[in-house]
Amino acid sequence: MEVLREKVEEEEEAEREERAERPLRPEKMTKLLPKETTTLTQEMLREMEKQLLEIEVPIPGEPLTKNSVDITKLPLSYKINTPKEEQLLQVANNFSRQYSHLCPDRVPLLLYPLNECQVPKFVSTTIRPTLMPYPDLYNWDGCAQFVSDFLTMVPLPDPLKPPTDLYSSTTVLKYQKGNCFDFSTLLCSMLIGSGYDAYCVNGYASLDLCLMDLTREVCPLTVKIKEIVPEKEKAPPKKYAIKPPRDLSSRFEHEQETKKQEEMKAAEEKRLRDEEERLLEAEKVAPDSLHGLRVHSWVLVLSGKREVPESFFIDPFTARSYSTKDEHFLGIESLWNHKNYWVNMQDCWNGCKDLVFDLGDPVRWEFLLLGTDKPHLMMSEEDEDGLNDDDDDVENLGKEDEEKNFDMPHSWVEQIEISPEAFETRCPNGEKVIQYKKAKLEKWAPYLNSKGLVCRLTTYEDLECTKICEIKEWYQNREDMLELRHVNKTTGLNIDYFKPGHPQALRVHSYKSMLPENDRTMEFYESARVDGLIKREETSTTMTEYFQGRPDFLSYRHVKFGPRVKKIPLNNAEANPRPLVKIIEQFCRNPAKPADEDVAERVFLIMDERIQLRYHCRDDYITASKREFLRRTEVDSKGNKIIMTSDMCISFEVEPMEHTKKLLYQYETMMHLKSEEKLSRHQAWESELEVLEILKLREEEEETHALTISIYDTKRNEKSKEYREAMERVMHEEHLRQMETQLDYLAPFLAQLPPGEKLTRWQAVHLKDECLSDFKQRLINKANLIQARFEKETQELQKKQQWYQENQVTLTSEDEDLYLSYCSQAMFRIRILEQRLNRHKELAPLKYLALEEKLYKDPRLTELLKVFA
Amino acid sequence: MNLQCESMEPRVIDDNLLKLVVAKQGPREEAGQLAKQEGILFKDVLSLQLDFQNILQIDNLWQFENLRKLQLDNNVIERIVGLENLTQLIWLDLSFNNIETIEGLNTLVNLEDLSLSNNRISKIDSLDALVKLQVLLLDNNEIFNMMNIIYLRQFKDLRTLGLSGNPISESEDYKMFVCAYLPDLVYLDYRRISDLTKEMAKMKHQYSIDELKQRETLIQAQKEEAQAQREKLESHKAAFIEHLDGSFLFDSMYAEDVEGRKLSYLPGVGELLEAYKDKFVIICLNIFEYGLKQQEKRRVELDTFTECIQEAIQENQEQGKWKIAKFEEKHLLNLSAVRDESEMPVIEEKIVECGEDITQLFNILMTLEMQLVEQLEEMINLFERNIVDLVGLFIENVQSLMAQCRDLENHHHEKLLEISINTLEKIVKGEFNEDLPEDVRMLFVDKDTIVNAVGASHDIHLLKIDNREDELITRVNSWCTNLVDKIHTDEIMRNRKRVKEINHYIDHMQNELDNLEFTDNLF
Repeated sequence: MEVLREKVEEEEEAEREERAERPLRPEKMTKLLPKETTTLTQEMLREMEKQLLEIEVPIPGEPLTKNSVDITKLPLSYKINTPKEEQLLQVANNFSRQYSHLCPDRVPLLLYPLNECQVPKFVSTTIRPTLMPYPDLYNWDGCAQFVSDFLTMVPLPDPLKPPTDLYSSTTVLKYQKGNCFDFSTLLCSMLIGSGYDAYCVNGYASLDLCLMDLTREVCPLTVKIKEIVPEKEKAPPKKYAIKPPRDLSSRFEHEQETKKQEEMKAAEEKRLRDEEERLLEAEKVAPDSLHGLRVHSWVLVLSGKREVPESFFIDPFTARSYSTKDEHFLGIESLWNHKNYWVNMQDCWNGCKDLVFDLGDPVRWEFLLLGTDKPHLMMSEEDEDGLNDDDDDVENLGKEDEEKNFDMPHSWVEQIEISPEAFETRCPNGEKVIQYKKAKLEKWAPYLNSKGLVCRLTTYEDLECTKICEIKEWYQNREDMLELRHVNKTTGLNIDYFKPGHPQALRVHSYKSMLPENDRTMEFYESARVDGLIKREETSTTMTEYFQGRPDFLSYRHVKFGPRVKKIPLNNAEANPRPLVKIIEQFCRNPAKPADEDVAERVFLIMDERIQLRYHCRDDYITASKREFLRRTEVDSKGNKIIMTSDMCISFEVEPMEHTKKLLYQYETMMHLKSEEKLSRHQAWESELEVLEILKLREEEEETHALTISIYDTKRNEKSKEYREAMERVMHEEHLRQMETQLDYLAPFLAQLPPGEKLTRWQAVHLKDECLSDFKQRLINKANLIQARFEKETQELQKKQQWYQENQVTLTSEDEDLYLSYCSQAMFRIRILEQRLNRHKELAPLKYLALEEKLYKDPRLTELLKVFA
Repeated sequence: MNLQCESMEPRVIDDNLLKLVVAKQGPREEAGQLAKQEGILFKDVLSLQLDFQNILQIDNLWQFENLRKLQLDNNVIERIVGLENLTQLIWLDLSFNNIETIEGLNTLVNLEDLSLSNNRISKIDSLDALVKLQVLLLDNNEIFNMMNIIYLRQFKDLRTLGLSGNPISESEDYKMFVCAYLPDLVYLDYRRISDLTKEMAKMKHQYSIDELKQRETLIQAQKEEAQAQREKLESHKAAFIEHLDGSFLFDSMYAEDVEGRKLSYLPGVGELLEAYKDKFVIICLNIFEYGLKQQEKRRVELDTFTECIQEAIQENQEQGKWKIAKFEEKHLLNLSAVRDESEMPVIEEKIVECGEDITQLFNILMTLEMQLVEQLEEMINLFERNIVDLVGLFIENVQSLMAQCRDLENHHHEKLLEISINTLEKIVKGEFNEDLPEDVRMLFVDKDTIVNAVGASHDIHLLKIDNREDELITRVNSWCTNLVDKIHTDEIMRNRKRVKEINHYIDHMQNELDNLEFTDNLF
């Protein structure tokens, strides 16, 4: 790192010269460093420390980079430092000073950047370990993927320096963007929350990593998982295994042949290698001039917790995991978790390849606070390190004096919260595009795209991404259960994959065009189909169907069509089916029948009127019976129809049987076959129809592309929402009604009386009378009101009628219409008012009586009134 | 009218009647013409209807080997006879006859549906052979004993039973009784039995049924035990060491040995005998266990051998099938080409080519077969050597063990002789004061007698041992030779069959080609 630091300062020319001797320099540096420090005595150090402690740390104030951050709603802990935090800052400052003193060549540490409220906060306290309530975020890959999806990457203001401010995860999540430090802080919080031994790393990485440039990486989705074919264990040759027949071919010729083949193979391989090299050459980019200086932050997960077998890095931008020896990572300055802060004292001349992540080793990792949970190494080992020993002791001593029993204060950041909506939407605005090498990956949140598209991978033939090779689209929540569409641009082949549940039990549909009678293959979920169809392949003249698990043991049907007879142009495909030329049907072995009677294959040559049968082969035979029927109907010399003659059936039987020679048997078989042929033709025709139907259905589905919504999805499911709202409304109304019934009709009268006193009888009677009379008045008022309205309406109507009578002649038809509609409405209103009035008249006495009754029963009045009564 | 008159008097089923009925009930229309042309063989008939024929006696039905359905209802049959040959029969209707006892059905093992209603049957029996019986109709008979129903418990598939119009069906408890004792029954007297009835019937007859079941299971268990015993003995016999897992041989040695038994009364002989028996039985057990082990070894050997042979044959068959399939593909193309061709010389050429193909196929198949024969022969010889060695080893070891037995016997004999002579001396001296049965005392008259007696006993013992040994060895040897012979003959049969098959196929192909030539020449 020291070297890298130097590189900035020096001229580029010098740098080039230096590159040659680079491997040597770091060693020198590391050796020099301790020598310098050893000249200081402990006393001097202590003195210096005292002096340093007295100095107030001026908090560096820098201009806000994000003025847009709304800090008004943030809690107090964001805006001020607690005394403990202040103390920590002092400790950190002290540490920083010592560090810069001891290692003057190294860049200053990132210890207490400013937060969004311009308050310096120690980095460890910015980590807020939180366990997320989503099961997807329990494992590291899920967390990393979420962080990388959820946040938009903002490059560092200065790619060569760590940032001066580090915002809380609250703000970062709110604005959904951040730099690598924000990314790794958030990820680290989540990982520690779910139990991983995770650390934020401040270090140096390659250009690609820093800028989240994946264009030179192969997209993980395009990498085909190599299927590991378990090699069949060769059974040891059995005792009585037969010896192979003697090989009589010439060994020399054989050798010559293999030699020739090997040569050819070698040539081919060489060609391929050359090609590959050429491609690699083309892909290589110009070396980065700032290689090794670009600051990056990522996450280190140490082995041990959560059954992590080996320590690894996670790049928070891409959510990829890397080995700790990966060449993308070029150096580490420091790392921290929520409890402590460590500075790397190891040399990074070889990237991170040689680093040892034993944080308990104070020689390799200088810690800030004592009392971490990492065990220290044994003293004896430290002794062996020799040179560094004194120096470390001095430092450790100093720390122990002041930092004893001081542990990291609690994080000032609020608990990380991700709303379910945000979690589902994931990417900012629900969309994300990643450019890979020869591939582009686009992601959408579910339900964002009206077609249900959630992911699209476009692969290109060339590096510049101009020629599309193939497109893969993943769908979710489609009503037609479409899961994946694979479009191959070079061959023009489309393959649709469906989940179980398509109305036609479709599983895979590969086609070049949606027009019928073209090349296509449909695969089905055979268990969902009555006919056990697995696959149907079509070309322009043939249709082949494969079946499984049918009770008639049919396994294969191949239909060949002839050219369509052009008769009437009006007829469409359905009315004018293509003539069938040939039907081949194959059957599985039916164990209930003897092999000689179990048909294996039957061929209907419809044009030739010929039927061929091939039977299954018996267990210990190599030939199978065959039979061929010629279906010619002929007339003999006397003009009688020949029903059946022996030459109409040519048969070969493995074991000639008596009864099959009989004409009757042959006749019956032929009759049976004839009816079967009809059936098969019908089925072929039905299959054609089904294809048409499926194609039609598919087209409709494509057009509507309706999405299904789970009944458990309370936000989106309109029906359930309506239902729920209706329920709520009903509840509300119920509540209101209850409130109404609880309305105290005596309350206004009781209020007139002095409170707290018991009612006297007189008062009670008075109260009752008053209440009743009041109610009576109200009833009357109501009746009057209705009456008044009724009269008003009637008057208006009369007026209008009068007006109409007068102006009838001059009125236009529009006015007349208006008048008529008004009349009918007015009449309606009047009628309603009349009805209401009548009803009121009917109900009023009843209501009055009911109230009286109620008053008699009122607990407050009963006793007094009872006596009175 | 004529038929009416004829039917008035009872008659026997004769050939004419059968021919008439078969022709009448045979195929119709076009198929009927064909059938007439060719004639129908009785054994091809599947169903026969002989109702309202006034038949008194069943006869001449033996030719209908494949008959599935036979209707003999509404006749005057008195005895069920002449159905022995109709083993494929599934459906038999004998209703409305004058049958008094069920008989003559013992060979109809496939019978599923039997109708005997409207007869004069008074007892259900002689149905044991009809294990597949599903429907049994016995309406309007003279069955009066409820116990007949228990007899029906053995038919596990019986679902439908008709018993109405019998004296038992008038009893109050009839339905409950039947339902309780035949719980698998679904239809009784043409009505479905409701679950409720079943439940009630079960409750009602709970105790007696439980008792019955208990008895049945006991009998079943006994049967199974006997079966297991038999199987065990069978397996021991296969290992040639039956009855050697105990004192059976020893006991048999003394079974015919009168003198030996007499001598056992001598003082000290009892203990001697006891010790002798123990040792002897141990050796027997050794032989037994060794025999089982060897048997297992032979079995494994044989299994591997058959497995390998099967694999080889299978592979060979696959190859043959593949070759034939390839040939057929090509041949079909050639034939259709010939058909399409019009030029005579080209046709000739093509046909010659086809002929060559056929010959080539023949050669290929025969080569394959010969190759297999050679390979198999080698393996069979190897196996033969191994199995003979195994058997030899077995015999040798058994012989040595048997020799141990003989040694024991000799040893025992010497001891016995010694005791006997001592006793004789004592008796002669008059020192012997123990009681001995009279016939035992008779032996001790002089030295020759006693020595002869002991010797006779010894000889008998040795003879027994020798016999057992000889039996074992001869049986093992004969098994071995039989096995090897069988393997050889099987292989020869297989080879012949395959060669025949290939020839048959090639002949057929050649014929077809010739026919084609012939027809071509015609046009």
